[in-house]
Amino acid sequence: MFGYIRPLQGELKIREFEQFRSCYCSLCRELKDRYGITARFILNYDFVFLTMLLWEENEEYSCAKDKCPLHPIKGKCICRRTEATERCAGYSVILTYWKLRDSVADDGFFRSFPSRISSLLLKRAYKKAALKYPGFENAVRGGLEELTSLEKQNEPSMDKMADKFANILCAAAHDENETQQRIKRQLLYHMGRWIYILDAVNDIEEDDKRGNYNPLAVRYGLNGGKLDDETKNSLEITLKHSVNMIISAYELLPENCWKEIIRNIIYLGMPAVSDSVFDKSTARAGTDRREI
Amino acid sequence: MTDPYSVLGVSPSASDDEIKKAYRDLARKYHPDNYHDNPLADLAQEKMKEINEAYDQITKSRASGGSSTGGSSGYGYGYSGGSQQNYRNNTNYGGSAAFAQVREALNVGDIARAERLLNASSVRNAEWNYLMGNVYYQKGWLDEARNYYQRAVQMEPTNQVYRNALAYMSNGGYAYSPYGYQQRSGGIDACDICTALMCFNMCCR
Repeated sequence: MFGYIRPLQGELKIREFEQFRSCYCSLCRELKDRYGITARFILNYDFVFLTMLLWEENEEYSCAKDKCPLHPIKGKCICRRTEATERCAGYSVILTYWKLRDSVADDGFFRSFPSRISSLLLKRAYKKAALKYPGFENAVRGGLEELTSLEKQNEPSMDKMADKFANILCAAAHDENETQQRIKRQLLYHMGRWIYILDAVNDIEEDDKRGNYNPLAVRYGLNGGKLDDETKNSLEITLKHSVNMIISAYELLPENCWKEIIRNIIYLGMPAVSDSVFDKSTARAGTDRREI
Repeated sequence: MTDPYSVLGVSPSASDDEIKKAYRDLARKYHPDNYHDNPLADLAQEKMKEINEAYDQITKSRASGGSSTGGSSGYGYGYSGGSQQNYRNNTNYGGSAAFAQVREALNVGDIARAERLLNASSVRNAEWNYLMGNVYYQKGWLDEARNYYQRAVQMEPTNQVYRNALAYMSNGGYAYSPYGYQQRSGGIDACDICTALMCFNMCCR
């Protein structure tokens, strides 16, 4: 779906890289056990970050080796499951389901076929997760509905659009401590803003081709699905500003066992991902849509 | 009372230099410039206060215990003094009486009220645009905030407060970056930041 929130691998220690992977595996296991086999295919890096952010302050890291269908012989290290892994697995099911429904509504009958099938396969898992996290379910459904209706009105404010998406991520914040909850909401708000705008950069050419709404095209009056240098510069600065807001929020939180990886992601990973999306959308000649 | 050494993240057996370094790093991290008009500025200010108190306490106790070689309290890197006023001072620039209530709302962090008051106002001058920019900034609508600051500067190009706000946006804000995590892109280096911050501080006093 998105998957923009990831570490800059070359700057991780090997131990940290393995811990990061073990968290991914743990989420995957959580999805399979709670939501069935189909659910495990929806996993992406964004939710690994969320898990690390919501990880309880006093929960230490530990992992155990176990086999799984993808690694049947050697097995993989799977980090211990906590309330955070359980919660993020549920959140990822809810968000993915509504994103799929969203594309079913947006795209034509044939183009939406894969989304239609996937959302059907995910429906049972979604119902279960929605029952467990009604607050988040409400925020996702409401937020995406608002986005759809603003898209139809060709909303000119990029920030207004980003705000709706950012509020969805805000709703994922969970901390019993009121102050820390406030910090996490602020952090996730700017992460949501960053993801929304960067995704619009990524989609600008395709949206133009298909005649779809793109918030940047409207905000900057772009034609032909291309970013000019001035627009690119302005977007890079506003995205950097959101990253700075994320950093200043994070540094006010008490550290947990994922601190090195979280710092790698916000200080290095996000700027690197942003660079690669901009490089792609300015240099891209054809319809190259490879994963970043 | 919390242990001052744990506040600075050092052991009680740490040398004076180690303590000074830990203090400097933390003071750099929570410096008001990193939280300029930030909705979490009050929390950073609290942190700063804790750190300053812990550092003062350690230096004082070491000076009286004779373990320190001339380390005196109030070393403070100039952070302990004016830092409190530096928060949110963007709105304390002695603006017109017409927007006194708006500034008051912004100072206590009541963004919704500030926005309501501004929308109800019939005056749409440079100051209005500047204050609206501030509202949007705190909401996290950074692109809109920049547009309002830009309009304020266009209407009143000589106002240094408005110009500073716009310059801050044009740089993408500031945040702490620990050693080894220097941001690569953006084309700014430490000197640029220092100069900009010095100018900023001078204007804000």
